[in-house]
Amino acid sequence: MDDKIETVEVDIRGQVCPATLLVALKHVNEHGSNIRNGSMKLVLKTDNRDATVTIPDSAVNMGYSVNVEKKDNFYSISIGALDAR
Amino acid sequence: MPFSNATIFIITAGLLLGFAVGIIMHRSDYCVAGMFRDLFMFKKVFMLRTLLVLASVSMLLFEIGRRSGVLVSPFPILGSPSLASFIGGALFGVGMVLAGGCVVGTLYKMGAGSLVSLTAFVGLIIGSGIYAEFHSVWGPFIKATTFFQGKITIPQIAGADPALFVFPLAATSFYLLYRWFKKGELERRSFVDGYMQPWKAALLLAVSGFLSYLFAGMPMGITTSYSKMAAMIEEIFAPEHVAGLAYMKVLSLNFTHPLTGEVMKGGPGPMFDAIAVIQMPVIIGIVLGSAFSAISLKEFRVYTNIPQRQFWAALAGGIIMGLASRMTPGCNIWHLFGGLPILAVQSILFFAGLLPGAWLGSRLFTGFVVKT
Repeated sequence: MDDKIETVEVDIRGQVCPATLLVALKHVNEHGSNIRNGSMKLVLKTDNRDATVTIPDSAVNMGYSVNVEKKDNFYSISIGALDAR
Repeated sequence: MPFSNATIFIITAGLLLGFAVGIIMHRSDYCVAGMFRDLFMFKKVFMLRTLLVLASVSMLLFEIGRRSGVLVSPFPILGSPSLASFIGGALFGVGMVLAGGCVVGTLYKMGAGSLVSLTAFVGLIIGSGIYAEFHSVWGPFIKATTFFQGKITIPQIAGADPALFVFPLAATSFYLLYRWFKKGELERRSFVDGYMQPWKAALLLAVSGFLSYLFAGMPMGITTSYSKMAAMIEEIFAPEHVAGLAYMKVLSLNFTHPLTGEVMKGGPGPMFDAIAVIQMPVIIGIVLGSAFSAISLKEFRVYTNIPQRQFWAALAGGIIMGLASRMTPGCNIWHLFGGLPILAVQSILFFAGLLPGAWLGSRLFTGFVVKT
């Protein structure tokens, strides 16, 4: 099943608050139905430490599953459907 | 030029304190602009709660310091309240939200490699420079709208012992904080390396403010130095113009350094005076401390792929903040971490102005910068 999940990557590295969260929310809303039905996963790349708290908080409140991982020198936040891993 | 003992002492203390503050702010992402903005933009008060930690602990420390005779209160530069304090606060609120950080937030973010914050920093210097051009109009406005002439703090106006205000206020704050703490509302889960909970950062920043008060004779403030930097740059291109500006001759600091007994004087003019000695090491320290923190976490990196609109917002925000910090006078760190804890009316008015300013800044940001 996993190979059917499309991954959309958005690079918001270098952006500071509140742009990081606003841009993230824009993308979450834009792809909302696809993320919800499990056909898409949104991956946000950010170097903004605060955004690793605010983006997951907002996404979880909106009913998505969120995973944050540190890659080299930035953080990768993936947002997917609650029941899809 | 030979430096006096007081000068060497203050420069060293400023560098070390600034360095510590840079690390603390980077680790916890202690963004004061964000606290006010999130209240209006996202209806979140988590970070604002930690400002109460900072203000109430500072209040207690400053009062203990005053009563024990190690701190002189009120501290220098603070003046009597005027309408300008409120107007400046409101403008400052707009600016810091657009810039994505206050005068200190801009420094620690810049230290960690942010080009947007570097742009805001340039804006701050430009704005502080612009103020010098119309100080001849604004100065008289400050004078004309000053009230409680000769008085600075609420206890002075009331003619009462500061303890009568400080202890009940601190006790109420601590009760509130204790309740939030028990409910887990002062902590948050974070995924970043080396995260420092913001309430702990607030405690350490209160201690840093106390140490600055003890060593330099006043809590941390940095914005007069932005005017000084603007003047120094301007002097290269137009020395006669700079020499002719009334603002460059203002003596905003003239006090006896409590620890050494040395008389220290300074202002916004383009010379290396007491203002430069007290403020510039703190500025350099914060940038270096934050850079050190980011490098040690392997998070220092400069990214350039950023929408142009965000740079324009940062530049405009920086200019507005620079202007506002001279019009008030004083920045958010000066007033919220320093003046508010001793109940300076100027600082209370600045705080009151920040609220509508941050609201307007949030509206402008979502209307023009990142449209929602």
